[in-house]
Amino acid sequence: MSEPAIIAEDIWKRFRVYQERPSSLKERVTKLSRDRYEEFWALKGVSVTVPQGTMYGLVGHNGSGKSSLLRIMAGIHRPTKGTVTTHGRISALLELGAGFHPDLSGRENVYLNAAILGLSKKETDNLYGRIVEFSGLSEFIDTPVKHYSSGMYVRLGFSVAVHVDPQILIVDEVVAVGDEEFQRRCFEHLNRLRSKGTTIVLVTHSLDLVQTMCDDATWLDHGDAKAQGPASEVARRYLNQVNEHETERIEREAAAGNEDAVPHGTTMSIDGVEFLDGSGNATPVGTPLEPLTIRVHWRADEPVESPVLSFVVWNENGVPIAHPSMIPIHESGGPVYEGAGFVDYRIEKLSLSPGVYNITAAAHDRAGMTAFDRVDNAATLHVQPGSVLVRGVVDLVGSWRPLERKVTDGPTDRLRPAVTPPQDLMVPGDTP
Amino acid sequence: MTAATEIWSYRNLIYNLAQRELRSRYKKSLLGWLWSLINPASMLAIYTVVFGVFFNAQPPTAGNGRTESYGLYLFAGLVVWNFFSGTVNGAIIALQTSGGLLNKVYFPPSAPAIANMITVVLQALIETAILAAIMLALGNGSVTYLLFPVLLVFLSMFSLGFGLFVSVFNVFYRDVGYLVGIGMQVLFYATPIIYPLSIVPSWALPVIRLNPLTQLVEWSRDAFYNLSWPSLGPFLATALACTATFVVGWAVFSVKARNIAEEL
Repeated sequence: MSEPAIIAEDIWKRFRVYQERPSSLKERVTKLSRDRYEEFWALKGVSVTVPQGTMYGLVGHNGSGKSSLLRIMAGIHRPTKGTVTTHGRISALLELGAGFHPDLSGRENVYLNAAILGLSKKETDNLYGRIVEFSGLSEFIDTPVKHYSSGMYVRLGFSVAVHVDPQILIVDEVVAVGDEEFQRRCFEHLNRLRSKGTTIVLVTHSLDLVQTMCDDATWLDHGDAKAQGPASEVARRYLNQVNEHETERIEREAAAGNEDAVPHGTTMSIDGVEFLDGSGNATPVGTPLEPLTIRVHWRADEPVESPVLSFVVWNENGVPIAHPSMIPIHESGGPVYEGAGFVDYRIEKLSLSPGVYNITAAAHDRAGMTAFDRVDNAATLHVQPGSVLVRGVVDLVGSWRPLERKVTDGPTDRLRPAVTPPQDLMVPGDTP
Repeated sequence: MTAATEIWSYRNLIYNLAQRELRSRYKKSLLGWLWSLINPASMLAIYTVVFGVFFNAQPPTAGNGRTESYGLYLFAGLVVWNFFSGTVNGAIIALQTSGGLLNKVYFPPSAPAIANMITVVLQALIETAILAAIMLALGNGSVTYLLFPVLLVFLSMFSLGFGLFVSVFNVFYRDVGYLVGIGMQVLFYATPIIYPLSIVPSWALPVIRLNPLTQLVEWSRDAFYNLSWPSLGPFLATALACTATFVVGWAVFSVKARNIAEEL
């Protein structure tokens, strides 16, 4: 157990990028070689140690070298400099159904794919029934896979892949394909493998995944290891940088887009919507379970008494997630809006999950019947993954109460001898 | 030796790759496997008619002292040639087309070429079985048939060594594939397959004899047609040449194929 599963020491990797621009005949004759290429270093001295039985994450933006490192760990590519030492059988899952032959039946491809992933004939024979059952394709198993839908293709490939029982599993974004159900099964399986002691190295864009599943991680940036260590810490640092970049980009875009903002309504108009963080600074980015204020700017050319301002939060799929509206005041003597100003909607804990949200803002009369103004796409809120994970569309911002033991003497309990409470309800350290 | 153990540990993959090739070859055909029999049989029939009847070529008398068939004489040589060209061309294609797979999973880059050779061996066995069956029917049987397994071993080494050598260079320079295409035609006529060694002018004989394929074709004819044993000197020289070709081809391939996945 003490021996690390993978030790990659000072890995450098150089790639050659061949130039394929058309050349003149003279050039072709004088330069017979096609050695016109540029070199670039995909990895610049990265060292990674993956302890046995852990899940290790590699994060970084596109082109940061994480897939190169993965391929080098799997032995598919060789490092230009540096060494990789591995202990245990490695299986690489870089593509589902790699090597499927379209003309062969599902059955034949199961055997072929299993062989590619390193299973012996006997092992495949033993697993065959389970593989087919897991894929749910027993009806079509003798059909050539070229007649499969892409979903069936992936299912069969995945089914083979998960039954390979390696000591070290190297996974490259495989989990990013497929539907919800498929992804869920993927994660379940990875968890099961880990609990069996399999070492897993995962390349992913999903910080959620790194935070929830990985023990340690490396953040790669342009071929350098920017951060290494406990996954949550690495994810946090990576996130900070991503957020910084994102904020800059959004501000740039906002600056470019501001010029064509024009007043809309006649009596009263919405002038804009902005977001403020917990300390009252304007920000285009929200963080789950952190405070956020939504500020709606208005302008009224003539006095308006008790108008109803509201906004709608739309998610990326065009679903209205929330529609906070001011409560109409029917009695006279309410506040009179005149000139320009703003109203704030304060959120103690932003319950939205990470994603992009569109805001529609509107101003109505006191009865909420006549619209003065309505602005679609008044603002865009980017909710970034934060330190707390939000699964699902929203966090319900509730809290779990500590365990309470149910004390029953009802008729159902008499069926069982009431000696001790069931084991799974026992709190550790509870027994005398 | 580590290379041998590695190939051995990937035997199941090689077996499956070979099976994939064989299975996909006759998919959707009614006769299926029978085509592996029909093809060489019809080839034998054509050569017999064209050379034996139209050209009235005079073959040497077979070992039983009676049979004179140009078609069979030719066929004994063609079995060797088909094996060689099938292995070399197959090795080039196998490496070129396994790029997608080599970038996804690690396996020895020589595995597809070896898998291809297995299918070629099967084809050669079928062709040889047809040849041997006809020869036996004509009363031209002998223990010299036992030379065939030995021939197969050295022919495999020679073909695979040569095939691996050219296949790896073809990845870097596709010109190699085209050059091999021309070279194979030259080699076909530089090997006494459609003509007997006896008609080669004496000045060209040393050159033709230096070609290991000449010797291997002669072995095949010795075994199935002449029913004689090859003389020891040339036999050992050929065995040595085949082994050397294999060792050199394998070594060059191992070095050049290190980063092959990135080049494919």
